[in-house]
Amino acid sequence: MLSQIAQKHADACRFCWMCRHLCPVGLQTGKEANTPRAKGLQLSLTQRGSASFDANMAEGMYECLLCDACTNDCVTGFEPPLYIREARTQAMVEDIAPAPVVQVLDNIERTGNIYGEEKPTFPSKDNAEVLLYVGEVAACRVPQLAEAYMRLLDKAGISYMTLEQEPPSGAMLGDLIGFTQEVQDQGAACVKALDASGADTVIVLDSYDAAVMRQRWPEWGLSAKAQIITATAFLDQLVQEGKLKLRSLNQTATYHDDSRAARTLQEFEPPRALLAAAGIALSEMFLHRDLAKCCGSSLANAYMPQITLLTAQGRWHDALRTQAQLLVTTCPQSMELLGRAVPQDMELIDLYTLLERACE
Amino acid sequence: MQAKAFMRDMILSELEDIVGVENVSTGDSEMLAYGVDYFWIGRMWADRGQKLPVPEFVVRPKSAEEISRLLKVANYYKIPVHTWGGGSGSQGGALAMAGGITLDTKRMNKLIEIDEKSRTITAEAGMVFQQLEWYANERGYSCMHIPSCLTCGTVGGALAHRGIGIMSSKYGKIDDQCLQMEIVLPNGDIIETLPVPKHAAGPDLNQIFIGSEGTLGIITKATFKLFEQPESRQFRAFMFPNLTEGLAAGRDIMQKIKPSIMRLYDEAETTSIIKKIIDVEEKGNFMNVALEGIRRIVDIEMEILCEICEKHGGRDMGSEYGERWYDNRITFFYPGHIMDIPQMFGTMDTVSDYKNAEKIYWAMKNAIESNFPGVRFIAHCSHWYEWGTMIYDRFILDTPPQDPDEAIRLHNQIWNTGVRAAMANGGVINDHHGIGLKLSRLMKEQYGPAMQVFEGLKKSLDPNGIMNPYKLGL
Ligand SMILES: Cc1cc2nc3c(=O)[nH]c(=O)nc-3n(C[C@H](O)[C@H](O)[C@H](O)COP(=O)(O)OP(=O)(O)OC[C@H]3O[C@@H](n4cnc5c(N)ncnc54)[C@H](O)[C@@H]3O)c2cc1C
Ligand code: SF4
Ligand code: SF4
Repeated sequence: MLSQIAQKHADACRFCWMCRHLCPVGLQTGKEANTPRAKGLQLSLTQRGSASFDANMAEGMYECLLCDACTNDCVTGFEPPLYIREARTQAMVEDIAPAPVVQVLDNIERTGNIYGEEKPTFPSKDNAEVLLYVGEVAACRVPQLAEAYMRLLDKAGISYMTLEQEPPSGAMLGDLIGFTQEVQDQGAACVKALDASGADTVIVLDSYDAAVMRQRWPEWGLSAKAQIITATAFLDQLVQEGKLKLRSLNQTATYHDDSRAARTLQEFEPPRALLAAAGIALSEMFLHRDLAKCCGSSLANAYMPQITLLTAQGRWHDALRTQAQLLVTTCPQSMELLGRAVPQDMELIDLYTLLERACE
Repeated sequence: MQAKAFMRDMILSELEDIVGVENVSTGDSEMLAYGVDYFWIGRMWADRGQKLPVPEFVVRPKSAEEISRLLKVANYYKIPVHTWGGGSGSQGGALAMAGGITLDTKRMNKLIEIDEKSRTITAEAGMVFQQLEWYANERGYSCMHIPSCLTCGTVGGALAHRGIGIMSSKYGKIDDQCLQMEIVLPNGDIIETLPVPKHAAGPDLNQIFIGSEGTLGIITKATFKLFEQPESRQFRAFMFPNLTEGLAAGRDIMQKIKPSIMRLYDEAETTSIIKKIIDVEEKGNFMNVALEGIRRIVDIEMEILCEICEKHGGRDMGSEYGERWYDNRITFFYPGHIMDIPQMFGTMDTVSDYKNAEKIYWAMKNAIESNFPGVRFIAHCSHWYEWGTMIYDRFILDTPPQDPDEAIRLHNQIWNTGVRAAMANGGVINDHHGIGLKLSRLMKEQYGPAMQVFEGLKKSLDPNGIMNPYKLGL
């Protein structure tokens, strides 16, 4: 069932206890099955024919945020998400994925996004050199983040466009069913749309999209003509070039690195540079940068909201122990997730809305 | 048959009523996760397609009150209860050998208090120890319980088998570091040990439950000492001509100063594992020492350390090797570095006084190597006391029998031989991994008639014998 390489990784994990302390799902649910070791063990037993890959096991494979905290910790370079994604493919093939997962798949197939809704569009100019790729979470659930970003671009004098029919990048579907041909086809359609726009720079708001575009597309032989840059890195450039002037807000905040920015893209400095430029003193959470604890993904939230409420609470618990009463993030998915569990006396804000205040 | 199935559903609904439907599991696949802990036999079973010892129900309580209610139900139906923390114990202690209920403590992971005035930290027992250490670190302290299972073992697990960390020679074992505990007794009563551990109010209640491996109750909360982070930590390595001198140096060091880390390797380990990691290409007995605390004191201690080692013929190798070992200390435990199936292996961690330590080492080595051709025996001493040391002796067999029954037979014979050689020469069966299932059968040999004290406790606290059957010789 697993590819050779995935089997090798599962076999390595099956008797290894080393990285479980970082698993946001394991920590919050307290389930032994929600440890990389247990998932590796279960799959290795199926490979040896001594357990069957059943609906119960499939359900466990979906109780993972694919956040790579385990991978990042692994001194010997093993990657649980590799075999967990493949197990998800298998669950789909064998028709044993949990019903809420199948519902999300149905949503994607019908509408291109996990919510099964029509995706809102945003104002756009024709033939701009810069294209803003909004992504489904910002568009459907956190439009204020996207709009604040657009106003910052306006302030910096950047002419940009958006796509009226923005195709999915493959990030969500790839996490849901593994990197199948269908996902690669989604990526290819997205490349085509980006190329057709004529933009020479694509700014990506959601790091999950940016991660798939930068890491997976090349693996699938896909490459967009435009340069792909995250929204935060682009903004940091504008500030450095003096195109966007920020005044000091003189506040203290803590910053949440989302898992794809932190571990796939390894992009920690641009948001911190922007916070510093806006006079925000940073009170870091104990686990930050590449160690940041994932608060949950929008995809996981769509099919296991009880567990993602726990993971969001887990991250707030970290924030509450800092000196800050303000938690900043650039990630639309984190805005959706953390927004479900804001503790009393804490404020959640996206970086772009905060920077807008510093522009006034 | 039908009636039994009906009772199963009735029991399930009682369990769900206590902890919530989402915190009870019965799925076959989920149970597999509880079928293997760090015990070699469990791993071998999994590797060779054997049926794993899994429970019927897994419950994940959130509080001592929920545990209390669960134990009352278990007692009523006389269902075995196996406590599972991280499942990282190497003795099979958490395996549900009697089926029934596995009680996973990991949802009980709240920090309760950091008391900076008394320098203590209190947490629920299901917290992974690394998390507790991070909470301490956030305030500039450390619990100084830094075992290699820091990232996987829980607070309760460390207490239940009397765990130890690499800094133990200065900061003590878990039983020295724990000040107070909350425990749920098998009958569901929730008790607390006294507010401080040093008193003259009878025997030490803490020490009855520390090391009881889930056979006498479930630890739900514990308070530990906090230490200031050291201003300075300095390493020094030495090469001794033989074990005798190395052990004598270790004893003299423990009499005069308090190193945090002190590790003395036998020649077999010096020329194999240590050589690989720190690139030392010579015969002898490698010793690595760390001193820590206030810099001025550490500087003086360092002078004394060097004098003692020189007196015993230890060649000073400077600080670099020790630092390299420290940087790699966790790497040893990741796949590819640690011993693993298909090898057969075991760690016998014996503890004894200095008078017997070397005798025990040779007795065990000779007994194992002469009775079991092809089995390698390597050892180091890594936890030191004023009166003696722990011998972390390991046996390794690269090609064990394929047949699982034969493999178990050989495994147990090697263990019996090694442990009996240790006990016959004044050693104690185990220093810090505990007894579990692995050594349960040898407890009566170790204790003799003294075992009746534990048996009496067991009988009065757990008359139905539901708590972790077949473990700890109880
Ligand atoms: C990589 C690795 C390195 C290790 N290094 C060390 C080391 O340096 N030092 C050391 O001492 N040990 C070490 N160990 C072994 C050690 O026994 C365990 O790792 C750990 O301390 C056990 O904790 P756990 O929570 O995983 O307990 P488990 O394995 O879940 O349980 C162990 C025993 O304790 C009982 N138990 C667990 N929680 C409770 C509770 N709350 N109340 C009552 N009983 C309970 C169980 O029933 C069982 O009998 C290592 C293990 C691994 C995997
Ligand atoms: S990812 Fe690495 S550290 Fe984690 S369980 Fe697998 S092998 Fe162990
Ligand atoms: S990817 Fe994240 S959620 Fe999944 S097993 Fe690893 S640490 Fe846990």
